[in-house]
Amino acid sequence: MLRSISLRLAALYTALFALAVAVLGAMILFATREALARQFEARITTESVALAQEFRTEGLNGVLQAVRERDRTPGALDYGFKGPGGVPLAGRLSTARASSGWSVVSLPSRSGRSSAVRLFSTDLGGGYRLLVGDDLEQIEALDGVVLRGFAVALLGVILLGAAGGYALSRDMQQRFAAMSGVAEAIIDGDLARRVPLRGEMDDLDRLAATFNRMLDRIGQLMESLRQVSNDIAHDLRTPLTRLRQRLEAALRTADAEQRAEAVEAALVDLDAILETFAGLLRISEIERGARRAAFRPLDLAATAGLVVEGFAPSAEEGGRFLSLVADGPVPVEGDAELLAQLVVNLVENGLRHTPVGSAVRVVVRRDEEGPVLSVIDDGPGVVMAEQERLFDRFYRLERSRSTPGSGLGLALVAAIAKLHGARAGLFDAGPGLEARISFPPHG
Amino acid sequence: MKLLLVEDDGEAAAYVRRGLSEAGHTVDYAQSGREGLNLAISETYDVIILDRMLPQVEGLTILRTMRASGVSTPVLLLTALGGIEDRVEGLEAGGDDYLVKPFAFSELSARVNALARRPPTQAAPTVLQVADLRLDLLKRVVTRAGSRIDLQPREFQLLEYLMRHAGRVVTRTMLLEAVWGFHFEPRTNIVETHVSRLRGKLERGSGHELIQTVRGAGYRLRVPD
Repeated sequence: MLRSISLRLAALYTALFALAVAVLGAMILFATREALARQFEARITTESVALAQEFRTEGLNGVLQAVRERDRTPGALDYGFKGPGGVPLAGRLSTARASSGWSVVSLPSRSGRSSAVRLFSTDLGGGYRLLVGDDLEQIEALDGVVLRGFAVALLGVILLGAAGGYALSRDMQQRFAAMSGVAEAIIDGDLARRVPLRGEMDDLDRLAATFNRMLDRIGQLMESLRQVSNDIAHDLRTPLTRLRQRLEAALRTADAEQRAEAVEAALVDLDAILETFAGLLRISEIERGARRAAFRPLDLAATAGLVVEGFAPSAEEGGRFLSLVADGPVPVEGDAELLAQLVVNLVENGLRHTPVGSAVRVVVRRDEEGPVLSVIDDGPGVVMAEQERLFDRFYRLERSRSTPGSGLGLALVAAIAKLHGARAGLFDAGPGLEARISFPPHG
Repeated sequence: MKLLLVEDDGEAAAYVRRGLSEAGHTVDYAQSGREGLNLAISETYDVIILDRMLPQVEGLTILRTMRASGVSTPVLLLTALGGIEDRVEGLEAGGDDYLVKPFAFSELSARVNALARRPPTQAAPTVLQVADLRLDLLKRVVTRAGSRIDLQPREFQLLEYLMRHAGRVVTRTMLLEAVWGFHFEPRTNIVETHVSRLRGKLERGSGHELIQTVRGAGYRLRVPD
């Protein structure tokens, strides 16, 4: 419990608050004392002046009467009147010995105990002396009241702080425990777990939401990893099975020519498998981004031209038309070899997934946002919903399952495009498909 | 030819050695990089086949040391699958060619033959001649038996490469690299279509096969005996 941050914070705040209350109490105490003392002083001086006036106008008897009268009034000040030679004439303070001005004397109180009295002594002339004072006990009593009040307040603050701190830290601890519980569950393999939110969107809720988004992302990555491993296994199972059958057949056959044929066919299968591996490794190498060091300024139109020129005869043999549409050089910053591979893959896709007689155009242009390379065919196109997934590794359209291919071509295109900061997208060319690579503005 | 093979995998090395010996080469073999380096420096070879992935001393280190000690023998590097970066590094370290493992033996053999230096004839030939076929590198003109043949720029490059390696097997991959600069294999056999077009232009009406197809390996420009 002491390790809990929230509890420690609550304790710290309670202590600070208690200190604040104590300081406030002390200040109020001082202030009241000051105010009271000043008030008493004022009363005492006023009384002294009034009685001195009385002495001058009404004479000795008048003042003695006034002193006695006031001395009897409960709650009033203390008075004393002395005659020449210090003879006490009237009032409780008349026995006190004091010189002119302010002084504090100790006097037996009415209850018998001795108490401190602050008094003001006035010399009235002719040996007469007037004493007006007040019992300090009253001020002290008031101190006690203030102090008790604050002690209660302080205790209240501490109790409330402790209770609040405990409740708060329990609450926080529960929320933290929920988070760490989810993390533990995920470590143990339950990837579907998420941190519950309170819906208050406080900072802890926001943290939990971020945490959940991170878990979603990890989940996606895990899923794609699982998917890719599954796909690799699945995609390799067919050629590996075929390879095995071919080799077995070769082993069984007695005819040397047939055996050679079987082994040759097995090598073709094996090369296809190796090609899949090479493709995967190539994609991951490109995704690592190490190739960016090899970026040079180059002409995208020239790269596309090289590919079109290389593939046009083969396309023609296959009964399709491949052409380049480019107005002039389109400079981009990139890796010439990888960009050539990107164009090759798109062109091969275009040639492979269209019926005989189709035309595939490679268009290189510059629009307001930057260089654009499009490979447009007039084939059957694809369903919109499938377009995004086509860039995934091993994703193949149902109708393409029968055509040879590793299912890595577009994934490689996506990786190369990403390395160049370009966007790869598939669009409906109505009819047909447009694969468009939009590069960032050059320079 | 006298070859040096530096390769730590014994089984792979035995296979390569047997193949190269059958092709009439003398093959020295070193299993470790250090041993290979010693042989490369003390003996004279036509071509060195060097595996990049060697225990203890790395292949590239050996290559650099070799070049630093003045050994200029052509080196064919064997690199791991998928390593695009490897090729660039290998060539920068002084390698002359590279081959990705696993490879077809025919590919290795063709590349070793292509690397071996021919006895120097002319310093820099401006004209290549094989039998009645003549290729002028400066004028960019090809004639056969005196009559001019019109070639596309890529066909010209293709023929130039074949003529430079006349009499030797040249693989599809070598042509892809040399003519198109593609260090990857497209699914479409673009080399085949281009070679057959070139062949059509060269052999029109002659009935005499100049560019031979070597089954399972590649092409060879025939040199008359």
